[in-house]
Amino acid sequence: MKEGRRWGGLFNTSAFRMSMGYTLLVTLAVCVTLGSTFLLTQSIIQGDVDLILDTELKSLENEYVRSGIPGVTEEINLRIDSWGRIGAVYMLAGPKFDRLAGNVTNWPFDGAPTEPWPEFRIESIEPGQRSVHPVRTAVRKLPNGDWLLVGTDMSQDRRYVRTFQIATLWGIGLSILAAAIAGFSFSFRLARRVGDVTVTCVRIMSGEQGHRLPVAGNSDEFDALATSVNRVLDRLEEQTRTLRATFDSVAHDLRAPLHRLRTRMDAVLRLPALEPGIREPVESALREVDRLQRTLATLLQIALAESGAPLASPAPVDVGELADELVELFEPVARERGLTLTGRADHGVIVEGNRQLLAQLITNLLENALKYVPAGGRIEVAVKRLADRADLVISDNGPGMQSEERQRAGQPFARVGQHSGLESSGLGLSLVSAIARLHRARLTLEDNAPGLRAIVSLPAVEAQLSPESSSRSISA
Amino acid sequence: MLRQVPACCTFPAVHILLIEDDTEAARVLVKGLSESGYTVDHAADGREGLARALAGRFDLIVTDRMLPHIDGLGIIQQLRRARLATPVLVLSALGTVDDRIRGLKAGGDDYLTKPFAFAELLARIEALLRRRPSATESTVLRVADLEFDLLARKVTRAGQEIELTAREQKLLEFLMRREGQVVTRTMLLEGVWDLHFDPQSNLVDVHISRLRQAIDRGAERLLIHTVRGSGYVLREEEE
Repeated sequence: MKEGRRWGGLFNTSAFRMSMGYTLLVTLAVCVTLGSTFLLTQSIIQGDVDLILDTELKSLENEYVRSGIPGVTEEINLRIDSWGRIGAVYMLAGPKFDRLAGNVTNWPFDGAPTEPWPEFRIESIEPGQRSVHPVRTAVRKLPNGDWLLVGTDMSQDRRYVRTFQIATLWGIGLSILAAAIAGFSFSFRLARRVGDVTVTCVRIMSGEQGHRLPVAGNSDEFDALATSVNRVLDRLEEQTRTLRATFDSVAHDLRAPLHRLRTRMDAVLRLPALEPGIREPVESALREVDRLQRTLATLLQIALAESGAPLASPAPVDVGELADELVELFEPVARERGLTLTGRADHGVIVEGNRQLLAQLITNLLENALKYVPAGGRIEVAVKRLADRADLVISDNGPGMQSEERQRAGQPFARVGQHSGLESSGLGLSLVSAIARLHRARLTLEDNAPGLRAIVSLPAVEAQLSPESSSRSISA
Repeated sequence: MLRQVPACCTFPAVHILLIEDDTEAARVLVKGLSESGYTVDHAADGREGLARALAGRFDLIVTDRMLPHIDGLGIIQQLRRARLATPVLVLSALGTVDDRIRGLKAGGDDYLTKPFAFAELLARIEALLRRRPSATESTVLRVADLEFDLLARKVTRAGQEIELTAREQKLLEFLMRREGQVVTRTMLLEGVWDLHFDPQSNLVDVHISRLRQAIDRGAERLLIHTVRGSGYVLREEEE
């Protein structure tokens, strides 16, 4: 099945189509070359024979002019007896085609032949074998009404032509075969090298950043391509590293002062006999510090996810079970706000990922819904397994979003909505989008008419674990 | 208003080693921890910290993750190689979920991201100090007249059975196992729900208040108490 798909893939490559065209072209060229050579050779051989026949006929005619029928008869007999041309045939016949002289017993044609180079066959019985000789002739009517025939046994020439023909056909066949094999192996090698590039790119995209394109070392154009692509990848990896280092140092440089600030404020709050007039503003300032810290953490998490750094140590996660756990966690809060939160999750829907990040994703979507859906509304969390994907759907019947807002919401760092009074709502969705991207998932925000429907379509792991092995206990 | 005094002080002179290169933050922490009844030594870099940790007998080590010379995770590795099982609490300015998981996997016993509330640090220190394996693993947890039969998964208060969901049982078990200790919201999210990030909603409060209704309603003595600015504590004592 896989093999078949691979071959099918080969037939679909442009290299294969090109090599097919190349094979056809080679076939055509070989056919034309060898075919015309064959035809030319054949006509040259024929032309030689015809020239000889014509010459002899002319010399016999001259003989007739010089010394009449007796002269011609004598000349013919002389030529038959002497060691002249091999396979020469002569005949002098009367006006009624009766034989007067020559080495043919009967007039071979039915009356006077119409075509310029008439042919007939002589059957000769030699000891042991019987053979048929094709004879090409030239016929002239002498001025006195007699017929003169000069011919040549063509069997030798025909054998040459036949051999040549067979050689030509073999030549054409072998050339086509060679061209086809060359074309096929060419396209196969091309497809394989392009395939290597594709596979490597896919692996790099899926987070194995250390991978590089193979360089065969024969400094062809593929090596040149691989080398420059590798250079681009090196550069990207270096940038990712730099970015990561920047995040880390920003995280450190911002958190250290925040930490000192928080520690000092904490120390103030621990002072005995603190006046309420001081306690309250310090406590509220402390809450702001915590908010600042949370925003910073979210920003860093988003930036990290968007930097293309791979998901660290992914593990199988049962999204259905995770969704149910979070529904259970949020249900009392939703009820407190007069909302109905329900879960409809299939269990045993496994994806490769980070449980914490996926939990954060669901949490953000749920908190978003909790924030915007007015009392009396409904929120539903569903997890469905669809072929090779796991769809996590969180829908509500709240105010929803404008379609352009929905489009922007998926983009990193996009702030959505004019609800400035509410805390970092846009950042929450940006984090959702970043986590989805990290998990190679598609995030779609749809109109739930009314309300919002967020669909996170994750690539599911093929093998489904049994319910026992997939249920994980949480250590207390 | 009276500040809650942590139960740490029932231990005689608990020694803590704080390894932190931010001297300003360290000063405040040392002061705070001393006020809470701990004896604190401070090391300002990784090399000094490791030397002290290997030489002295500390009940707990609190170390920053990023330190000059040897980083926090390196110190843990060296300690474990030297067969020292002293619990280690890692403080870090790196705060992504991955960092925390990696930090815990590297052998730290707990992980706290800066900036943190001092109360959170205290609660976690207390939890680590108490986390000594008890000789006999009892199958029934008991606090006052509240009983939790772990095998039968049955909870009774004054002999009366209380119906709880699986998650509520888990929450109760977590609190009962830490009887008398302050448990923060973050600790509950991590321990009961396995969530290592802070949702914005008051999730834990709502779940605690439901559990409280089930356990303490109509009871003469309340068991689940709120510790202002910190979290919750389950103990036999009237507020």
